[in-house]
Amino acid sequence: MRNGLQEWVKGYVTVTVRGKRFERFLNMAVRAGMRIWNIRRVGTEVCRCDIVIAEFPRLRPLLKETGCRVHVVERHGFPFWLVRLRRRAGLAVGAVLFLFGLYMLSSFVWSVEVTGTRNMSPQEVIAAAEQIGIKEGAWKPKLKEPLVLRKELQKLLPEAEWVGVTIQGTRVILQVVEKDKPAKPPVTGPRNLVAKKRAVIHTILPEAGQSRVAVNQLVEKGQVLISGIIGNEQRQQIVSAKGSVKGEVWYVSNVSVPLANTHFRLTGEKQYQHHLLIGPYAVQIWPLNRQEFAQYESEEKRYVPEYAGYKSPIGWKRVIQSEVVPTKRELTMEEATEQAKRFARADVLRLAGKDAVIREEKVLHATTENGKVYVSIHFSVIEEIAVEEPILGDSQPPANGGGGNS
Amino acid sequence: MRRWGRRLRQMAGGVLDLPQDVVLEVPRITMIGHLQMYIENHRGVLQFSENELRLLLTNGQLLVFGEQLVIRAILPEEVLLEGRIGGVKFLENP
Repeated sequence: MRNGLQEWVKGYVTVTVRGKRFERFLNMAVRAGMRIWNIRRVGTEVCRCDIVIAEFPRLRPLLKETGCRVHVVERHGFPFWLVRLRRRAGLAVGAVLFLFGLYMLSSFVWSVEVTGTRNMSPQEVIAAAEQIGIKEGAWKPKLKEPLVLRKELQKLLPEAEWVGVTIQGTRVILQVVEKDKPAKPPVTGPRNLVAKKRAVIHTILPEAGQSRVAVNQLVEKGQVLISGIIGNEQRQQIVSAKGSVKGEVWYVSNVSVPLANTHFRLTGEKQYQHHLLIGPYAVQIWPLNRQEFAQYESEEKRYVPEYAGYKSPIGWKRVIQSEVVPTKRELTMEEATEQAKRFARADVLRLAGKDAVIREEKVLHATTENGKVYVSIHFSVIEEIAVEEPILGDSQPPANGGGGNS
Repeated sequence: MRRWGRRLRQMAGGVLDLPQDVVLEVPRITMIGHLQMYIENHRGVLQFSENELRLLLTNGQLLVFGEQLVIRAILPEEVLLEGRIGGVKFLENP
């Protein structure tokens, strides 16, 4: 019925109709199919209504027939707005210029972003992109297809496994996926591998350098195992010796274990004490007096509020006392010996370093004296005995270390 | 003859379940409170003023009185009336 938008777009006017036979006029207009609305009476012979301007000329014959006069009061709608706009041409021109400017500005590239670089520097990527035309202020229609740009960029950046070029509005996002190269081994200077202990060679695995010893050979501390100087008398070259030499080392370990030992065991009973810390003093607050355990272990927890590096003078600490009870334990001879062996083993492995394997262990003698067991154990351990020694100075004639026994 | 036609139409309407205002040729009035009134199936405006609207019907007249009456929309057979409606009266043809 009432299509407000359509009426506004076409334009309508508010008119006053003067005359005696308005009702007849209305009936005739409506039957003729004219769109009239907002009809009201504003006086004895005056009515007001709205009508689309397209219908206005058709009113004339009706008016004549009914003897009414019509007068336009208001004008509404798009056509009238255009007329008004003609007087304010600047507004229209400005709007058009604005839209045009917006469109133009949005067809440049204003920002280039790089994501995904870890080892490569973003500047590198941006510089490479500039070479193919991607930079701030670039004219977007002039840039080639993203796929073509991608191929060109990949050619310029050999360290990248894959590059992606996406244009989002005025942003160009360059994604880089770098090649995952394995870490380069650290460069070492010229060096020899020498023995760190006196040992009998068990296995030699030279990776670089020339080995100067044989399996089952006894070597002294400091003896060259894998030499960094390779070649024969005519031609020589210095390299960084690398490899692994395992040898058998003998240890004698003396351990004493008391037969009866007392150790403290936590009973599980706990007591809490709270102290207030003021400056360097600790004042015991709640609980005020408590019986302490006969034997206890105490642990404290301090809370000192701190602000920007300045410690506050007031804090508090909580002391937890855990009761302990001494228990005596007696060991038999065998148990004590076992325990001694365990200690000795751990000790030896600590000295030998990791990757060490105990090949043989022999209890040399075990005696009991004064309530303690003294055990002396001999270990034969296979361990890594090669250690680096840098070669100083210019190349020297190879040391004749083959078969060096002393 | 006219009466026959009318009787026939009424019977058909009953059998076929047609809406009554079509069969009986009377207006259908939809009122929203006392503010708005939508009258369908009239035959023309007889009188219109701020306080009274007189419509011609097939059989008789419809009189609406109130205050500040405005015809919001009018079509050959329908009228949308707004304002403060006081009352509605049906006047039979004498």
